[in-house]
Amino acid sequence: MFIDNREYIKALDAAGELVTINQEVDWDLEAGAIVRKVCEEKGPSPLMNKIKDYPGHRYFGAPLASYRKLAISLGLPPESSIPEIAAVYLERTNKEPVKPVLVDKSKAPCKENIFIGDKADMLELLPAPMVHEGDGGRYLSTWHFIVTKDPDNGDVNWGMYRQMVYDGKTMTGNLLPFSDGGKVFHGKYKPAGKAMPFATVIGPDPISAIAASAPAPMPETDFAGMLMGKPIELVKCETVDLEVPAHAEIIIEGEILPDVSLEEGPFGEYTGYRTSPRDFRQVYRVKAITFRNDPITTISNMGVPTDEGQLLRSFSLGLEMDKLLRSQGIPITGVYMMPESTHHLVIVGVKPIYTNIAAQIAQTVFGSKLGPWFHMVVVVDDKCDIYNFNEVLHALTTKCHPINGIHIWQGVGTPLYPFLSAAERTNSVGPKVLFDCTFPLNWDPMSEVPSLVSFKTVYPKEIQEKVLANWKNYGFKS
Amino acid sequence: MFKYDVYINSLADLPEEKEIKLSVRDLTPGKQRYAYKHVMAKVSADADKYPDKLQVRFGRGQIHSQPYSIQVMKEVSIIPERWL
Repeated sequence: MFIDNREYIKALDAAGELVTINQEVDWDLEAGAIVRKVCEEKGPSPLMNKIKDYPGHRYFGAPLASYRKLAISLGLPPESSIPEIAAVYLERTNKEPVKPVLVDKSKAPCKENIFIGDKADMLELLPAPMVHEGDGGRYLSTWHFIVTKDPDNGDVNWGMYRQMVYDGKTMTGNLLPFSDGGKVFHGKYKPAGKAMPFATVIGPDPISAIAASAPAPMPETDFAGMLMGKPIELVKCETVDLEVPAHAEIIIEGEILPDVSLEEGPFGEYTGYRTSPRDFRQVYRVKAITFRNDPITTISNMGVPTDEGQLLRSFSLGLEMDKLLRSQGIPITGVYMMPESTHHLVIVGVKPIYTNIAAQIAQTVFGSKLGPWFHMVVVVDDKCDIYNFNEVLHALTTKCHPINGIHIWQGVGTPLYPFLSAAERTNSVGPKVLFDCTFPLNWDPMSEVPSLVSFKTVYPKEIQEKVLANWKNYGFKS
Repeated sequence: MFKYDVYINSLADLPEEKEIKLSVRDLTPGKQRYAYKHVMAKVSADADKYPDKLQVRFGRGQIHSQPYSIQVMKEVSIIPERWL
């Protein structure tokens, strides 16, 4: 496991998953364009060593935008399959939570440079990139997390909520009310007229970033410790009562104002569109900035697949649904969310032991805290490989009855869905759909259920073995 | 000459030749580029009427083909004193 991004970058380099760029790169669109192209081509991560206007600073783009990188970050061979990576994630996160440990400031690299008060000017100190042409501003926080604390029970939350630089001392962002951080701000601080302390962590170690992007059922500090296999090292902030990972690259401390809103967005979003228009949103006032020597700002470039938000949210949302459905005693074979669906479509494999089990699956996951982030559930039977897109598409187009097999609900959704009307966005409305790709159980398996015609299902075992044994003799290469 | 841009939902948000309150972005190259300023200003669809340039964008970033001009009368404070 990697204690920081610098160790992780070395591992990516060793695996051929890094490109080091030593020529000057402009923070104004050029860096964003490089990262976008990497995402669309599933290429190696760029480490940009020279940033225009900001000597000494570096960029690290697309840090986790492929399963190969995810495998490396978890300490697995890069060629690990998705089910193998999923098995390790589930094995680690089904253990006991691992509480973080607090380290002294002298052992925290993120304190190597400290700027407080008027000196903490983001535009002067940090190379916030203009990620996409047309964005409402420079987004410093694209692969990061925001630390907040529940004022009543002290629960810590790490959430990946975007932040746009408004001016040197101010950021704006979209703190959605149904997110964990949003619930505390909108439900507690704002009604009390109190500012909510925050600390933005830019360039966290890869495991902490994975934990922050996951719908963890516990404080992400503990969840990250489970994934890491040892406690995360935290250090106290300078100006707010919060703790941050000691080995992160950059920390921005401050307060979210309860009674002020300013313009934020638009921004190229994970759906592959600029969907939510510019609007008045939450205001973050900066009190302190600390960073490592030669700091590395991480850049994720949201857009058409695949970026790390799409990949990791799909991965962790799917696996948290796996845990949820199994906890309800539903005999699933697995859950897979396709990153290419921008985590909007989830595939659930199930042994259909009773009628309408697909509806129970859909209602369970749509009704959970995970529900606002996706709207399509495809339920296939246990003969279908949920990771095989061809098999899933075949099941969808052959087993889902257009009238009886498609069910729709009106649920809660994110305003970032591109297909929503303005009114639906405002009211958190999120239409949901289930595609039941299981044959009815009351069909006689001997006389009514269609037989699947495939190499594995319609030939006797001895014929299959004979053909496979002679495959190269027939003249086929593999 | 300075260059700014502004995001609007429709051109009705940008009445011409009267003093209005706007959030504009400073497009001057350098570290401060894209910083926001709240200003009292006059704008015109005549690109040469006022001393500075104004590029108009709509809510999702689309650029309006008509270049505007702007005269910034003064900057105004946007954050209440108690939070500064």
